[in-house]
Amino acid sequence: MPPDTTSATMSVAVRPSGPPNDASGARLPGDLAIWFFILAELLAFAVFFLAYAFARAGNVEMFNESQLTLDLNSGALNTVLLITGSWFVVLAVQAVKRDATRLGARWLAAGMACGFAFLVVKVFEYSAKFDADISLSTNTFYMFYISLTFFHFMHVVLGMVILAILLVKTRQGAYGSREHNALESGAAYWHMVDLLWIVLFPLVYVMR
Amino acid sequence: MQYKSQAVAKPYFIAAIGLFIGQILFGLVLGLQYVLGDFLFPAIPFNVARMVHTNLLIVWLLFGFMGAAYYLIPEEAETELFSPKLALALFWIFLVAGALTIVGYLTVPYATLAQLTGNDLLATMGREFLEQPLPTKLGIVVVALAFLFNITMTVLKGRKTSIALVLLLGLWGLAVFFLFSFYNPANIVVDKFFWWWVVHLWVEGVWELILGAMLAFVLIKVTGVDREVIEKWLYVIVTLTLITGIIGTGHHYFWIGTPEYWQWWGSIFSALEPIPFFAMTVFAFNMVNRRRREHPNKAAVLWALGTGVMAFLGAGIWGFLHTLAPVNYYTHGTQITAAHGHMAFYGAYVMVNLTMISYAMPLLRGRAANSNKAQVFEMWSFWLMTVAMVFITLFLTAAGILQVWLQRVSDSPVPFMVGQDQVALFYWMREWAGVAFLIGLIVYVISFFVKGEEKAA
Amino acid sequence: MSGAFTKSMARNIFYGGTTFFFLLFLALSFDTMKQLPKRDMRQNITPSIIAGKHIWETRDCIGCHTLMGEGAYFAPELANVVERLGSKEAVKAFIQSRPVDGIPGRRSMPQFNLTDKELDDLANFLEHVNTINDANWPPNIQG
Repeated sequence: MPPDTTSATMSVAVRPSGPPNDASGARLPGDLAIWFFILAELLAFAVFFLAYAFARAGNVEMFNESQLTLDLNSGALNTVLLITGSWFVVLAVQAVKRDATRLGARWLAAGMACGFAFLVVKVFEYSAKFDADISLSTNTFYMFYISLTFFHFMHVVLGMVILAILLVKTRQGAYGSREHNALESGAAYWHMVDLLWIVLFPLVYVMR
Repeated sequence: MQYKSQAVAKPYFIAAIGLFIGQILFGLVLGLQYVLGDFLFPAIPFNVARMVHTNLLIVWLLFGFMGAAYYLIPEEAETELFSPKLALALFWIFLVAGALTIVGYLTVPYATLAQLTGNDLLATMGREFLEQPLPTKLGIVVVALAFLFNITMTVLKGRKTSIALVLLLGLWGLAVFFLFSFYNPANIVVDKFFWWWVVHLWVEGVWELILGAMLAFVLIKVTGVDREVIEKWLYVIVTLTLITGIIGTGHHYFWIGTPEYWQWWGSIFSALEPIPFFAMTVFAFNMVNRRRREHPNKAAVLWALGTGVMAFLGAGIWGFLHTLAPVNYYTHGTQITAAHGHMAFYGAYVMVNLTMISYAMPLLRGRAANSNKAQVFEMWSFWLMTVAMVFITLFLTAAGILQVWLQRVSDSPVPFMVGQDQVALFYWMREWAGVAFLIGLIVYVISFFVKGEEKAA
Repeated sequence: MSGAFTKSMARNIFYGGTTFFFLLFLALSFDTMKQLPKRDMRQNITPSIIAGKHIWETRDCIGCHTLMGEGAYFAPELANVVERLGSKEAVKAFIQSRPVDGIPGRRSMPQFNLTDKELDDLANFLEHVNTINDANWPPNIQG
């Protein structure tokens, strides 16, 4: 028998990655894996934001002029929607941790509703822009405006897919006070989507 | 070797090394043609030699990947290969088809070869790296599909580990994206756009899944670190690879007629591409530091660590150097690109194949590891080849910087050939580094024949 | 920092993240395909240009030259060669005049023995590539 078969038996003794211990104070909610992903995403957005700032510095006038055409109201409304959605998801996680899973599922659904409303508002905003023949190739400002908001838009869609999966599994009773690793991970992702918008909105819509 | 059918990997590895030698010899011819322009002209013009050099590289890497899959999959799936006979038949088909293609390149003018092989029916030839005649391309597809069938069936009837799944995904992706090599529209911009779906989505996409899976497999074996730990890191690394690498394709869409937003998208995402390579280096060293056993095959451990470091340097650092659009505006299509290409291919794909071969070959030859003496030879070859490649890269980078300056940046830009003559010294030094690489490769081959006390398997 | 780090979560993120970014890539590619007609001068592509691209490919020109920066780095950039040499005629004359046995000691271009029509097609193709809007690359006439 080659020696490497023994490694399989040697390595059986694993440190169990069981349910996280809530008592240990500085616990990172959710799965470490999602935090790697969140960090990578934040980094991608951060570089994108820096690129925006860099490009804007080179052409402030054009950026300011184009910025005026953006719909501040829909942007502000969307900010409210996402923050509310995030709050609902917090309530959902808290409810599930108290084993109030039916309530938790309802909060998750409310969070999704906010996300959905965000997407609807965004689609109206886009269609107005596309009707005005604005595209990625119109100018650098619109390139960033569409790129950043669309990149974020897709994140909201992904976040909603994640919430939908969590909702189904919560209804099935997969999570509770003992097991909520995946729920926390998904919630963390949703909060990231919210956080990104909170940076994106003032940066692209408001700051002059 | 735990399963009899793993033995089919052996001819694949041997063929890979054989073709590797051919690739390096033609590399030396090319290097010499850079300074002695009419060397071997008109018998073997530069473009023919280059075709042989790059195509041999691709084919031997594919041989290595397939050999690795035949070795790794039965052990991961804990079952014999679905059909060892098919694997062996495919080996000969692929080898003969590959050899005929190379002979065709070398003996027949390319235009005649195109005519003889039905390029007028479906024109696919004459695009960089996709120079293969139509029958060869079709052969690659057939061999790839039969190969995928074979290993997929093996996994389906056995244990489905993450390493096996990531490897399968990578290999399937390899086959799927190769199909774009059959798409050659009359519009050169569209042609170039989808050409990258083969080239970029291979080397900065699906091939990295193969690389990750192969490296993870060897690390599990040589370190004895728990599979759970290694496999979750594998997932993290390949995730980072694809989320940066897929949009990173945009760094090829700066100056070929594609919309200019790619300059931003491409720069941003490819600026993040070093991260997965860095993670891979940290991962490899971490796992070796946490090892639970001292594997007798020290050479394989060295190759595994080397893969991490050199892939990070070649693909990560040298890629980043010229990936931002404002920089790339000046460096695009110069020796800087050549420098990056050489070190990235060596550091990532050559070295991961040599890692796998280093680990598996002794087992295929019936021992846990080669004798100490043989391993010393192998480690010498590691250092010779790796250091030589570092110097090849540095000399090409120097030549590239001068070329950019002379031809593109200075107030009075000089014509291409005037610039080339002025940097000839660096091409000579690159050629000598290439000779050192060949010596390293010879030492590597010798290491297979060095006897000594071997540990029984 | 304690907390779980599970393989199943890492796997799900791999599949989800990859799908996400591939879809995003498809969306951008889709937009590119819509925008290309404004940049790639496809309205000017004639049968001669198509034939010229075929000559370009079957002589493996890209094995030595670059075209819009892509290819081999052994010989000059050709996307702007018509402009650099001044005319299609000059390009054709250059190709035609390559000595069969090369130039002693110098990088030599093969003599392809192209017919007049083939030369015309190839020159038309190179002229066409010159007109493509490639974001003002190369930086100067030397390529």
